[in-house]
Amino acid sequence: MGLFTKGITLPKAFTPNGITPVDIPLPGQVTLPLRQYLGEAAEPSVQVGDTVEVGQVIATAPGPQALPLHATISGSISAIGETLTYKGLGLPAITITGDGKDTWHTPPEPTADIDTLTVDELIGRMDGAGLITTGMFPVPLGRDLMPLEQPKTHLTLDGRAVVQRIDTLMITACDTEPALGVNRFLATTDSEALPIGIAALTKLTGADQIRFIVDKYNDPPAQLTALTAADETECTGISAINGRHYPAAHPAVLIKALLHREIPLPYGHPRDVGVALYDLATVMALGAALSTGLPPVTQLITVGGGALKTQGIVTARLGTSLGEIIEAVGGFSRDAAKIIVGGPMTGMAHYDLSIPLTKEVAGVFALTEEEITLTEGYRQCINCGRCVAVCPVNLVPGMLSLYCAKDRFDRAEHQGVLSCIECGCCDYVCPSRRPLVHLFRYAKHQLMEG
Amino acid sequence: MDSANLIVSMSPHIRGRISVERMMLITISALIPTAVAGLYYFGIKGLMIMVLSVLTAVVVESVIEWLTHRQLTFKDYHAVLMGFLFALILPSSVPWWIPVIGSGVAVILGKMVFGGLGTYPFNPVLVSWVVLKLSWGERMSLFFSPHSTDQVLTPLMAIKEDPALFYDYELMDLFVGTQAGAVGTVCGLALVIGGIVLVSTKLIRWHIPVSFLIGIALVATILHGINADMNPPALFHLITGGTLMTAFFLAPEPVTSPVTPVGMLSFGFLAGVLTMIIRLWGAHPDGSFYAILIMNAATPLFNNLKPRLYGRR
Repeated sequence: MGLFTKGITLPKAFTPNGITPVDIPLPGQVTLPLRQYLGEAAEPSVQVGDTVEVGQVIATAPGPQALPLHATISGSISAIGETLTYKGLGLPAITITGDGKDTWHTPPEPTADIDTLTVDELIGRMDGAGLITTGMFPVPLGRDLMPLEQPKTHLTLDGRAVVQRIDTLMITACDTEPALGVNRFLATTDSEALPIGIAALTKLTGADQIRFIVDKYNDPPAQLTALTAADETECTGISAINGRHYPAAHPAVLIKALLHREIPLPYGHPRDVGVALYDLATVMALGAALSTGLPPVTQLITVGGGALKTQGIVTARLGTSLGEIIEAVGGFSRDAAKIIVGGPMTGMAHYDLSIPLTKEVAGVFALTEEEITLTEGYRQCINCGRCVAVCPVNLVPGMLSLYCAKDRFDRAEHQGVLSCIECGCCDYVCPSRRPLVHLFRYAKHQLMEG
Repeated sequence: MDSANLIVSMSPHIRGRISVERMMLITISALIPTAVAGLYYFGIKGLMIMVLSVLTAVVVESVIEWLTHRQLTFKDYHAVLMGFLFALILPSSVPWWIPVIGSGVAVILGKMVFGGLGTYPFNPVLVSWVVLKLSWGERMSLFFSPHSTDQVLTPLMAIKEDPALFYDYELMDLFVGTQAGAVGTVCGLALVIGGIVLVSTKLIRWHIPVSFLIGIALVATILHGINADMNPPALFHLITGGTLMTAFFLAPEPVTSPVTPVGMLSFGFLAGVLTMIIRLWGAHPDGSFYAILIMNAATPLFNNLKPRLYGRR
């Protein structure tokens, strides 16, 4: 309760206290999909047989909606083909077979001072490093900050069109799901990249205030790091939220709770209400890319679930297969019933462990049969209203699911199905075990198609 | 790792521990104090009513499901709960066939004709209670004094005859249950304990019980203020008749009550006011069961009182 009146409290939350990330050994082969965000795919600039070094560009961006791709191990290009990605889609990808030497490409000169760079130069460097945003719909970070289309205009009640200016930069050290822990872990580390990332974001957004959001269950270093960073910039507040609450870290919920502003769902964006919201991992990656000139070639992810021998945070080269990561942390101790890429509440279930680690992946979970609950043979809605009590966007999920199941999409749209943020809280509390989010996705899909 | 055994389905992949079975079991256990009080006051007769009622409900439900080739659902304990609840709103004087017929009618007419749990528009227990009341009105209005087989009037029946009689009743007696009444409604204390269990385990939300009791108390207080000699105080109305049973177990019944916060509050409040209207000016001494049945019909309307969608005006 308190800040968040809706939503649920999950029993299992990741506790990053005292954790050191496990380094996954250099993989013998990496597969890098040409598109690891929503947008255009990159175009390969290498041929099979070419030798590449770590950090070298192997695919260039053909347009503004695309990002270049960098080699994450040194070796030779062994194939340019197709691979299955975490979204379940086959995408063109470049495969590199490593030489085990890990030789690094000489980076372009690092950015000395943020102030001397123009906005276009900053965006150019961001795009050059292949940075993306996190969340359910990752886009290139540069596009998120500088939308190519005109800024959205809103009509006020008296008919004037106003352009929303970004006044608040929110940096969250909470993960979108309590079971994920990368951001909470990063909050306990000292990073030189953070102030640089913050400075760049402040310059780009023109925000007057910066707010940090930390998990109140996290170790004190979290607050310390945030404060240290705050000294160098104009921080106006640190909000400690309950990290076990879900979906507290969802942008729409967080902005509502802290700033009392509501993103105009379904198609809204934090910028529509004057907010730029990024997580610690993104800001640190940005800072690191600007200060060293190197693109990120490794990624921190959470591995968890009862079927694994060890759980925790690992750092692996992008393009490593998920199976290899799981093997590297000790493999399975029990039979897994579900392999999930992402968190247990919003992630995607997979049947193939050869999918490569891409920039969008926040975690890998191997859940046992006891940990999952199937919706097979679900019951009739008993109208108990638990879903209404938890829905963060104030839908009436039970009633809505009946419309969706009976293909009454017009009614479903009228009841606001498009506003659903697919957090899964209603499913979590449903005593009839109805697949509510599944039905809403089905209705959304049908409405978007038609 | 054999990928052939991996399950692929939509998120979320984890779920809470709540299930229909669990909901029913918690409700049944919340009724146990009431059942114990019923056994204490009415002895073997109370036990007979409860056992017959529960057995009939389970058997009738299973037979219908077997005849219609549906999955047997006695394992979800809803039939048990229905039979149990039904027994608790019967007077202890009834012959053995009343709980049998009543419980059967509740399952057939109240629940199964609409398709089972989750589909019925009216609280099945109350549907059956009304059927019995209309069919065998005299037997249903014959109440025994606790610990005996002396036929007495319930407090609400007594004040229907002469409103000033409420002076004869000690509020504490009414609350503990030494006055005449149905098996499960005599002991207000036990019902309040059950209600607290339900609300604190979040099985029911506080909205309906609280607004229902406020509705009753408000009307009673106003009338008591106007004429203190002819109108009993609010507390009298809150602990007599089926008020507490209705507030905690019948009105918040999930299937037939609204789900939105404003809907629940208005549902409860109006049901409370309606109860008082029937008690004061209607033909029946206790109006709470009728009030809930009438309000059940309006539940879909109350569900239109939705919270404002996020991000919309």
